[in-house]
Amino acid sequence: MAENENLLVTTNVVKRFGGLTAVNKMNFNIERGRIFSIIGPNGAGKTTFFNTISGIYRADEGSIEFKGKQIGKMSPDRITAQRIARTFQNIRLFSSMTVVENIMIGSHTVLKQTPLEILLRLRRFKDEEKKAELKAEELMEYVGVHGMGNELACNLPYGAQRRVEIARALAAQPELLLLDEPTAGMNPNESEDALLLFQRLRDDLGIAILLIEHDMRVVMKVSERITVMDYGEKIAEGLPKEIAANPKVIEAYLGRGAASGLST
Amino acid sequence: MRIAQLPLSVREIVKPLGRMVVFVVGAGALFSAVMILLALLFKGSAADLQLIEYMDVGILPYTISILPQVLIDGVTLGFVYAAIALGYTMVYGVLEFINFAHSEIFAIGAFAGVEFLLFMERLGILSGATGLFAYILLVMAVLAGMMASGTAAVIVERTAYRPLRNAPRIVPLISAIGVSFILQDLIRLVESLTSGQFHRIFPTFGPFDDRVSLFSFDMKMGPVDVDIQVKSIVVIVAAVLMLVGLNYIVNATRIGKAIRAVAQDRSSASLMGVYVNGVIAFTFLLGGALGGAAGVLYALKFTRIDPFIGFFPGMKAFTAAVLGGIGNLTGALLGGIVLGMLESFAGAYLTTFTMGAMGAEYKDIIAFAILILILIFRPSGLLGEQVSQKA
Amino acid sequence: MKESMRESIAKIAKRLNTGRAPYIVSGVLIVVGTLLVYMSPRSILAFLVFATSGAMVYFLKMNKTVKLALAVFIAVILVPILGARNIFYLEVIFQIAVFAALALGLNIVVGFSGILNLGYVAFYAVGAYLWGFFGSQQAFLLHEIPGTAPLNTPFLMAPEWFYIFVFLGIIVAAFVGLILGLPVLRVRGDYLAIVTLGFGEVVRQLVNNLDKPLNLTNGPQGITPIQRPPMPKGLVDAFNSMVSPLVGNQVTESQFYNIVFYFIALVVVILAIIVTARLDDSKIGRAWTAIREDELAASAMGIPANKMKLVAFAVGASFAGGMGVIFAASRTFVSPDSFNFMQSIGVLTMVILGGIGSIPGVIIGAAVVIILNLQVLQSFSLYLTQLRQSEAVIPIINFAWKNLSTQLDPAKYQRLLFGLILVLMMIYRPAGLLPAARRKRELKGNAENDALKASKDAAKEKSNG
Repeated sequence: MAENENLLVTTNVVKRFGGLTAVNKMNFNIERGRIFSIIGPNGAGKTTFFNTISGIYRADEGSIEFKGKQIGKMSPDRITAQRIARTFQNIRLFSSMTVVENIMIGSHTVLKQTPLEILLRLRRFKDEEKKAELKAEELMEYVGVHGMGNELACNLPYGAQRRVEIARALAAQPELLLLDEPTAGMNPNESEDALLLFQRLRDDLGIAILLIEHDMRVVMKVSERITVMDYGEKIAEGLPKEIAANPKVIEAYLGRGAASGLST
Repeated sequence: MRIAQLPLSVREIVKPLGRMVVFVVGAGALFSAVMILLALLFKGSAADLQLIEYMDVGILPYTISILPQVLIDGVTLGFVYAAIALGYTMVYGVLEFINFAHSEIFAIGAFAGVEFLLFMERLGILSGATGLFAYILLVMAVLAGMMASGTAAVIVERTAYRPLRNAPRIVPLISAIGVSFILQDLIRLVESLTSGQFHRIFPTFGPFDDRVSLFSFDMKMGPVDVDIQVKSIVVIVAAVLMLVGLNYIVNATRIGKAIRAVAQDRSSASLMGVYVNGVIAFTFLLGGALGGAAGVLYALKFTRIDPFIGFFPGMKAFTAAVLGGIGNLTGALLGGIVLGMLESFAGAYLTTFTMGAMGAEYKDIIAFAILILILIFRPSGLLGEQVSQKA
Repeated sequence: MKESMRESIAKIAKRLNTGRAPYIVSGVLIVVGTLLVYMSPRSILAFLVFATSGAMVYFLKMNKTVKLALAVFIAVILVPILGARNIFYLEVIFQIAVFAALALGLNIVVGFSGILNLGYVAFYAVGAYLWGFFGSQQAFLLHEIPGTAPLNTPFLMAPEWFYIFVFLGIIVAAFVGLILGLPVLRVRGDYLAIVTLGFGEVVRQLVNNLDKPLNLTNGPQGITPIQRPPMPKGLVDAFNSMVSPLVGNQVTESQFYNIVFYFIALVVVILAIIVTARLDDSKIGRAWTAIREDELAASAMGIPANKMKLVAFAVGASFAGGMGVIFAASRTFVSPDSFNFMQSIGVLTMVILGGIGSIPGVIIGAAVVIILNLQVLQSFSLYLTQLRQSEAVIPIINFAWKNLSTQLDPAKYQRLLFGLILVLMMIYRPAGLLPAARRKRELKGNAENDALKASKDAAKEKSNG
């Protein structure tokens, strides 16, 4: 397994909504076991790009390849079965279910329970259920929500809910994790814990992570490569230091002419 | 374009009238053409032979001979459905909510109108009513129906829908079904308590049952007379007035603008100072009143009413609203006319063309089948839906 | 004020539910209920007490074996005996069983997966007409006009086939559900409801009109007679010899069939409960709940939403199909009238009243609606008849009861009943009377949490006491 092997490659992906081109000829790649980030001003098309990768939208042009397979036409559930998992910008936990059950739902593609086994309560069903429960507990500990298993998901504090969402995504045993603004609404301590978690995920589990983020401290500290989008296009890509000094990036965030007023 | 240069108020009267003419003529021509084509295809078939045996006339001349009458019935029925459809489409456009109880609002109007006229009959006023006075009485009955239905619609909205405005869509829908059932039995209860019977009959008076001869044409089998009942003319004229009137209100008045604003983006309209609850109540009032008027007209045309008459016309009108494009007034009109024509043609020709295998009862199945097909394959309807524009 | 009242009721309820108390309570209720029903077989109050005693066996905290024993005792011994005393009760209990199974089926569609199916009764009709056709003479009457069946027309199948047809009903209905679901389930929420309504109506109209060109369903007159499964010789006599000394009258063979069908329905309901509970507590059940809550997030978790909705639809349909066969055989008669929109809404009302997604909830919902429908409305009707025959007068408006139109018959006001329940539940308690509770799992992490809580509670009590 080559260190620099490309896990996901998008080629000339375009997504339009009526007259608006939200994503315009995105060429993008993620390497196995790395943490990459996408940043950009609001409305740049980052979440739309995510949604196109995860199957919620279908690209109008271009191709998306994951581990050599074309996934551009797959429905979201099939993409998850390919081992790509995601979280959402606005937390979308299943609020009427407990934390454990939320995480167990994440295991849906991994659990092997046929209807017959379920109806007859065969051995295999019980084993798989136990496995899923244990896995859920393990993940709860890993992300740091130990002990809240039987709480209804909606009763948890905000930061805990975000971590449960990540645990739920991890239950699908992904090789690529798409995190959409995972530290939104967190205070600096929580953000610090979150970014340590991302690093652990990469180091312990070898998961490639793609972040959309607005918190520049997190982005700078954790990213191995940053891609900047504006108006649906990639305007810059490179190491954090390079991006911070890139005049086009500064312009995108602060407006025309801002770059000239800053010293590099 | 010359039309665009006319003042708004005139424009908003000419446009719907123009559309009506186009739809009626277009639908009529289309259906007639299809029917004649079918008759040509069926020439020589078993159906043709059976017809010749029983009625001494081939399938093509038979088809043509009853065609004008079928068209007239289709137009009449179509306008009734269009009038009922307006209530569904307005409420859906503003609230994205299917007012399931609208069928009973329609029935309430029918009962209010009929009871009013029966009351007049008991007072002895009806027997002497002729000419203009008969029409005035009819107008009063329609007004009675409109008031009863409008009020009922507003009350229903306030008690059963408003508390649920922010709940997931399924919740107010279930509530609406509940209201529909409650109203059916309430009509029954009131009728049982007051008159002791709940099948009511529209009293005969005035010139409404007379037939007006339109034209006749000669065919090989003899002259064919085409006539139309006065009541059908009344129904068509009244429906046209309602449609034009509603279109005018929605497109050429301030309150209409408020309705359209609330329909497109409720929160922004509220921020602009529109009193949203009031606008919604008014929408129900309008839709309900029109449904009530349609109810009285229905009673006029079909004479017998009972507390459960709302269900089928209601479902068919809803089908019409979706067929044309829900939220879209013009769509309700188009859908109504198409559906009315379809039902009239099916009712008249099915038995003959299938040699009795499928009778006129199947026209209801056809209406439901169309509803199912539209919702599955083209839920935005023929003219496209017009609902909230925010995501 | 309200708070303290609620608290004291909760305290009493808790006191009654701990230690020995529940055994005493349920024992007393059962005995009292049985005696009441025995002594005044026509009283609704007695029936309600008896029904409550049955419910208490489920809800109170008792040893599992004791609960099971009591339940079996009530269902297998008490009910048939009391049924022999007043066959009408058995009819009510039979209907509760039938509709409980229907409600459980609809619960899977509406409650677990969030699909509002307004035409559910169509699947019931499929099962009923399946046995209605094969278990009757209809196959030989395909060319006869309704009402002109010649004497001595044979029956198509031997009556023993009934049991096989229960299974066939399940399978055929599931199949119809699949076929229906395929095009339909991608339609969005409220439109989907209307489409299902449309299908329900189309099925009813078809059944009503398929008496020409081939007389498949005998049209609006319905199909009769339909065979019942054969009764072993001497069973009725054996039953009578055991039971009539207790009960005071003999049961005819026809009445005994009611008891037989009660048992058959009971078995089906128990199966339905087991299937539903097991599906709920598995990855399929979790997937359904996820779809109901947030379909987009569910599919992002790898749940194939359309496929799972289809499964829910088919499973729900299968319950109705099986019960339809039983219904047809028990009535020996089917007609299109039993399968109209009001019946679909009736089942929906039971699910909503009881609690969407809750198994005990929908069973209680079915029981409440049936009891209200068959008994309360009926007795209201009887009461009014009595008033009409008396000289009584309503006080303030001086209206004599006997002038009240005979058209006003409360027993026929089911629509009002259903409608009120639906609207009131949606506004005040959309989760139902007994909302579904999520399962609390045994987790190691929680052991610590529980210990923490326990010590907190102990500290609180110390400071209070």
